[in-house]
Amino acid sequence: MEIDRADGRSPNQLRPLSCSRGVLNRAHGSASWAQGNTQVLAAVYGPKAGTKKNEDPEKASVEVIWKPKTGQIGKQEKEFEMVLKRTLQSICILTIHPNTTTSVIVQVVHDDGALLPCAINASCAALVDAGIPLKHLAVAICCCLAESGLVMLDPTKLEEEKMKAFVYMVLPNSILSVLPEESSSVKGEQMDHGLITSVTHGVMSVDDYLHCLERGRAATSKMSDFLRRNLQPRLSSDSSMAG
Amino acid sequence: MEQRLANTWRMTVNEKKFIESALLSGLRVDGRNVYDYRKLSINFGKEDGSAEVHLGQTRVMGFVTSQLVQPYRDRPNEGSLSIFTEFSPMADPSFEPGRPGEFAVELGRVIDRGLRESRAVDTESLCILAGKLVWAIRIDIHILDNGGNLVDAANVAALAALLTFRRPECSLGGENGQEVIVHPPEAREPLPLIIHHLPIAVTFAFFSDESTLVVDPTHQEEAVMAGRMTATLNTNGDICAIQKAGGEGVPQSVIMHCLRIAATKAADITVKIRDTVEAYNTERALRKIKRHSAPVALDVSGTGPNVRKNQVKSQDQRKVSGSVGSQVDKLKPSNERNDSDQSNDIEGKMVTKSFEQGGTNSKDGKPRSFIGGPSS
Repeated sequence: MEIDRADGRSPNQLRPLSCSRGVLNRAHGSASWAQGNTQVLAAVYGPKAGTKKNEDPEKASVEVIWKPKTGQIGKQEKEFEMVLKRTLQSICILTIHPNTTTSVIVQVVHDDGALLPCAINASCAALVDAGIPLKHLAVAICCCLAESGLVMLDPTKLEEEKMKAFVYMVLPNSILSVLPEESSSVKGEQMDHGLITSVTHGVMSVDDYLHCLERGRAATSKMSDFLRRNLQPRLSSDSSMAG
Repeated sequence: MEQRLANTWRMTVNEKKFIESALLSGLRVDGRNVYDYRKLSINFGKEDGSAEVHLGQTRVMGFVTSQLVQPYRDRPNEGSLSIFTEFSPMADPSFEPGRPGEFAVELGRVIDRGLRESRAVDTESLCILAGKLVWAIRIDIHILDNGGNLVDAANVAALAALLTFRRPECSLGGENGQEVIVHPPEAREPLPLIIHHLPIAVTFAFFSDESTLVVDPTHQEEAVMAGRMTATLNTNGDICAIQKAGGEGVPQSVIMHCLRIAATKAADITVKIRDTVEAYNTERALRKIKRHSAPVALDVSGTGPNVRKNQVKSQDQRKVSGSVGSQVDKLKPSNERNDSDQSNDIEGKMVTKSFEQGGTNSKDGKPRSFIGGPSS
């Protein structure tokens, strides 16, 4: 059965994406990511010397600060910070600069659904802009489940509120490998079929969850292409980051 | 503590000497004249009451939101205005998250004095039920990029956000008129705030050589300067606030000279803010017309010949479907004409009349009080 989405998209259609890098002057790396009306600005400073007390000094650590649009920082912001931090820790190569801290600051410009995936995408682009060494890129997507069992991708805020359940998932960027096929698989399973992070809200059955995962994986290949094109090194007409 | 030391950016002795000696000959590092402002650009977000200001490399965002609260006991018929400044760690490596530092508090206070204590925003119109319910307006200022002169940029961001903010309309109902009904924006057009004047902050930086002063310092000049002064004034010639907190002592003649310069700068910035807000309001009004594309009844086209008389050739390429297309095209040129020719009341009335008729012919059939953009 077909559900009419308010903006006329099909269930598998993402909102228009836009990404710009290097938007801030003082930050070491910055990126602005917009999915439809949801827009997030991320800035990266690092690596800075020293780690916090609870962190392991043998490795680099990632610090995330989430700034909501208005209001005080509450529990939801802390939860987003924690999810973002763990996700970024799994994609950064932590052993290169031990005993350093990389700060990622996320500012919400406008929230129209799928806020956490948008922030993860923005942070990933900002890390690349800052030149922090990463194992691979990550793309994040939101997938929601309607009452009727229909799975829709990239909901707006109104759709998110009406849905029975939704899941944010972060998948590794599809690997463009020059090496032969065998080396990209881990224990017999393809590397790009891994799942880095998954956060669910609401109740859904196991089958529905796996269905959402499949849909999300299919859609992220398009996002990966977009991300890779966007992160191509820019022309030499850009000014340097000195100062 | 080692981490904090790694965060601060220190200016080298060479850079410091270079800036100071260049200023002695009246030269600034970015090529500006001593009294020139950097390029100021104001962009608006998708919602009402969100503005982003770029002043050279400095980038500040302002958001305005409103909430219904109980008024203060000593001011039962006035709403309230509160300003929250967030020095985001993304703006500068030395900004720490958590408690605002003394500079953040100072910036918040300067903007607060300029806006609230000078009564720029009319708080009595924010009262709905005296003693029970008033609107509390909250301004959040986020500093995104510290390129110097945060006070001025933050002030412009706050003003731009306030000018484009719309609060929901509410009416009194219930048995004895004590119940307040807040109308959603789809039912009744939200109202703008009443702002009497625009207080503009102009910052001056003084250097150790007595006669050297610059307007709108960059962050390198701020690291070298010996003292600063911010003067907040409006185009009526009122000085709303002056902030000079310590630093190098300056003779009175220099202060008077600064105030005179600030007056001219404030006039320029006010014109710039008003122009961008006007363009935004026009575009917003047009967006509203396009959304309610309803079949036009005969009586509206009756006013057609009068409106056509004032028509100017429209170069707009926008596609508008249906019969409303012609209505939109007629309205747009009259908008443009109205903006440039304020004394022409006839056009204003024409535009308002067609707006209202377009309103009553909307698909849902509910009567709406639509405030036409250009007539305000």
